[in-house]
Amino acid sequence: MNVVHARHGPPVLSLGLGILALAAVTLLLARPVSHVLSGPAAPAGYDVERMILVYATLPRLAIALLCGAGLAASGAILQQVLRNPLASPTTLGIDAGARLAITMATLFTPSLLGLGRDMVALLGSAASTLLVFILVRRRGFSALSIILAGLVVSLYCGALSALLVLVKDRVLASLFIWGSGSLSQQSWEPSTALAWRLGIVALPLLFLLRPLSLLDLGDDSVRSLGLSVTRLRLTAIAIAAALSAFVTSAVGVIGFIGLVAPIIARLSGARRFGERLLWSTIIGALLLLLTDATLQILAGVSSEFVPTGAVTAVLGSPLLLLLLPRLNTAAPPTSFAPAGRGTATTLPRVPALAAVAVFVLLVTLTVLVGRSPTGAWQIVSIDQWDQVMIWRLPRIVAAAAAGALLGVAGLILQRLTNNEMASPEVLGVSAGAILAVAVSLFMFGSLAPVSESVVAAVGGVVVLAAILAFGSRSSFAPERVLLAGIALNALIDAVVGIMSATGDPRAILLLGWMSGSTGGTTAGDAAQAGMAAAVLVAVSLLAVRWLAVLPLGGPQARALGVPLARSRFLLLLLAAVLTAAATPVIGPLTFVGLMAPHIVLAMGVRQPLPALLGAAAAGAGVMAVADWLARTAAFPLQLPTGLVAAMVGAPFLMVLLNRRSTFP
Amino acid sequence: MLDRRQFVAGLAMLPCLPRPAAASTGLRVAALDWALAETMMALGHTPIAIVAASDWNRFVVEPRLPSGIADLGLQPEINFELLASLKPDLILTSPFVQDLEPVVQRIAETLRLSIFEKGTVPLARPRALARVLGERLGHAEAARSLLVTAEHTFDMYRERITAIAPPPVVLVNFIDARHVRVYGGAGLYQNVLDRIGLVNAWAGTTNYWGYSTVGIETLATDRDLRLIAFEPIPADTRPTLQRSPLWSRLPFVRAGHVSVLPSVLMFGAMPSALRFARLLVEHLERLPR
Repeated sequence: MNVVHARHGPPVLSLGLGILALAAVTLLLARPVSHVLSGPAAPAGYDVERMILVYATLPRLAIALLCGAGLAASGAILQQVLRNPLASPTTLGIDAGARLAITMATLFTPSLLGLGRDMVALLGSAASTLLVFILVRRRGFSALSIILAGLVVSLYCGALSALLVLVKDRVLASLFIWGSGSLSQQSWEPSTALAWRLGIVALPLLFLLRPLSLLDLGDDSVRSLGLSVTRLRLTAIAIAAALSAFVTSAVGVIGFIGLVAPIIARLSGARRFGERLLWSTIIGALLLLLTDATLQILAGVSSEFVPTGAVTAVLGSPLLLLLLPRLNTAAPPTSFAPAGRGTATTLPRVPALAAVAVFVLLVTLTVLVGRSPTGAWQIVSIDQWDQVMIWRLPRIVAAAAAGALLGVAGLILQRLTNNEMASPEVLGVSAGAILAVAVSLFMFGSLAPVSESVVAAVGGVVVLAAILAFGSRSSFAPERVLLAGIALNALIDAVVGIMSATGDPRAILLLGWMSGSTGGTTAGDAAQAGMAAAVLVAVSLLAVRWLAVLPLGGPQARALGVPLARSRFLLLLLAAVLTAAATPVIGPLTFVGLMAPHIVLAMGVRQPLPALLGAAAAGAGVMAVADWLARTAAFPLQLPTGLVAAMVGAPFLMVLLNRRSTFP
Repeated sequence: MLDRRQFVAGLAMLPCLPRPAAASTGLRVAALDWALAETMMALGHTPIAIVAASDWNRFVVEPRLPSGIADLGLQPEINFELLASLKPDLILTSPFVQDLEPVVQRIAETLRLSIFEKGTVPLARPRALARVLGERLGHAEAARSLLVTAEHTFDMYRERITAIAPPPVVLVNFIDARHVRVYGGAGLYQNVLDRIGLVNAWAGTTNYWGYSTVGIETLATDRDLRLIAFEPIPADTRPTLQRSPLWSRLPFVRAGHVSVLPSVLMFGAMPSALRFARLLVEHLERLPR
């Protein structure tokens, strides 16, 4: 029975989807088609209904099928090549690179877009894909590492796009729409062009089908064919990236089809790679067609502009959450364990003093050096002291406190998950905070009288509860919790995308909040943030033993008497609370939580206690410098500190990661 | 010889000229919203600082921003240190930036004026803005004359529109090659159309601020109308649309009833309303009839 079920699963599922899609399409087309058929064969004037049917509705259905097919095929290939059930154009950051490239082209070389959005998007995709691979190349391409690297690159591209939108908001309305994937069409040209492109790119797949399916049996069987595994992988990845980049360049970012369709194909019983590719493609095409046709029917009812890509993401991320427990995502532990064990170093005395001196010097400089009203660089003088300190000191203190909180949260998460790409952003707590602020902004118009921080804290806590509830089913297996966080981040990104795509001016307010503005921080706010940092960092010191033992792996930790589920729960809780305390100050995206532990590692500190204190200090230092840059770099423009931290921090982090990968 | 038309057009430009600030309170005013800044300037009171000054000439276009006005930076990320050092007497805010009020109140007194309001009388909000600012800044007389001139100007535009009897218009911004933002509802543009007697052919709904984002296919119609697109138009829009039968066969496109106007501040006040009316009427008059 089971075999029969497995064999017929995908066709039965596809048939079901096909019937649903057909029903929706019939409902959508019934009126215009009957109108066209009842009218004259060649109408004299401009027959609106006929023109819309022929040049808008039908090409839109065609492009939905093509985009769904292209993305799903891309996802199926990526999942096969990377041996990773969660690989997809979205999770690998392929979309994000295209998005950033289009943003930059729109801003700096608009004429380039006239020549072709395709090339721009393709270049962007290539760059972001390459970046992800550079980040994980020495880490055995483990499932979680690639996904996390993809997420970091996506978040980084997103942060950079956001900064550009903020600085140039009036020009970039198009990017909200583009980032949410609207399928609206006015001719057959885009779908014809896309069909050609996808067809040509997919052609070599016919020859790669057999070697790619051999990957199921291990790399050796591919080698036995006389093929280079690396070359096979790279070719297949290039094809997958091109498929998704062509789709993205044609209609924008369509979330999650490329992830969900192959997962559904696999779970419904498609075993071999050829089957999976075929059925993923069919399921992806039908899923997007169904979603878009339904959306068009509903759009007749409500007048709000809702882009299809954001809808698929909103539907796709909960689906991912549901499917997660059924996927085997176990990855071999990487990173800390080999380097960390045995080479435990205590912080040498002199470098420790030097580090403290550098930290104090940096923070002092950020307070003293600024720009005068005319823009000239100056060291603050005594008579300006009051004036400047009312505005400058609170923001520096708050930013530094947030940096310390996130640095410690990052250290805890990286040790807990044994993954050096883990960061507080990934948990989803900050995403929950954004969503709460977004909802309150759009429902109540303004954030007053309830302050943003309160709303954000509520959102963060709700998400935290959800994460913990979700995690308890897997006794807080760290990778499950992180993946749930990723799904949540995507969901919130999509919701914010839908809110923004209509061009609502409040979207800019939301972006402003998300970007981590420290501008109006009062002395009271700063004191609060400082207190929170002091208390929570002190509490974290209690967890030092767990942090030393947990990276050794579950069994060893248990053998050493650490209660696994309870310690994981408490550490996750602690990381989430640390993050929630920092988010209202500095926004959801800083990467400082990712960076600070790596700075400490690069200094050769591995023991938990000095590492924890070091991460707090490094986080605080990075944020103080980011705050200073935000204040002075583009004077009189003030940039959002959170985004500046991401801008400065991410490249720095990439260099660090790259250097560390050359360690034995 | 000046005919009546030129004379009134000249009058309309008067508020844009610098005036002696004799009756002025001489307050040092910072404006956190462009609509308030342009109204102040029309009253002859130059603000000492505004937000996003570097973008002004690109989006507001006229009047050009006088030199010596400090740039407070991005609207969501105001340079408080700079604002404080300028020691303003009064800071003008709008509901859009009201969350900043607790912060800027540490620097000076604030006055919140709403730019936008759903109303039945066209341009009621811009008028009220001019009056309130006139009172507060000691330019009541200037405000009165601004409003009188504005009404005369709009009346004249209305007559000129009646004379040329143009078809209904659709006002859009091309967002990319596939989407437009189309204006109506309670927005400034619709207010001006109502005031000068032009019909908006867009019958669809709009959001609270008076615009709607739609696919370009939504503009398909067999009616005669004139499409008016504001600059800037993305580079790939025109070539893409020319290749679309849905677009190129549209009656109003075949008839060449597609115009491009310079950018007008959508969230503007009386000066932007006057400028939009002038650009629109002068453009429509220049067209062959």
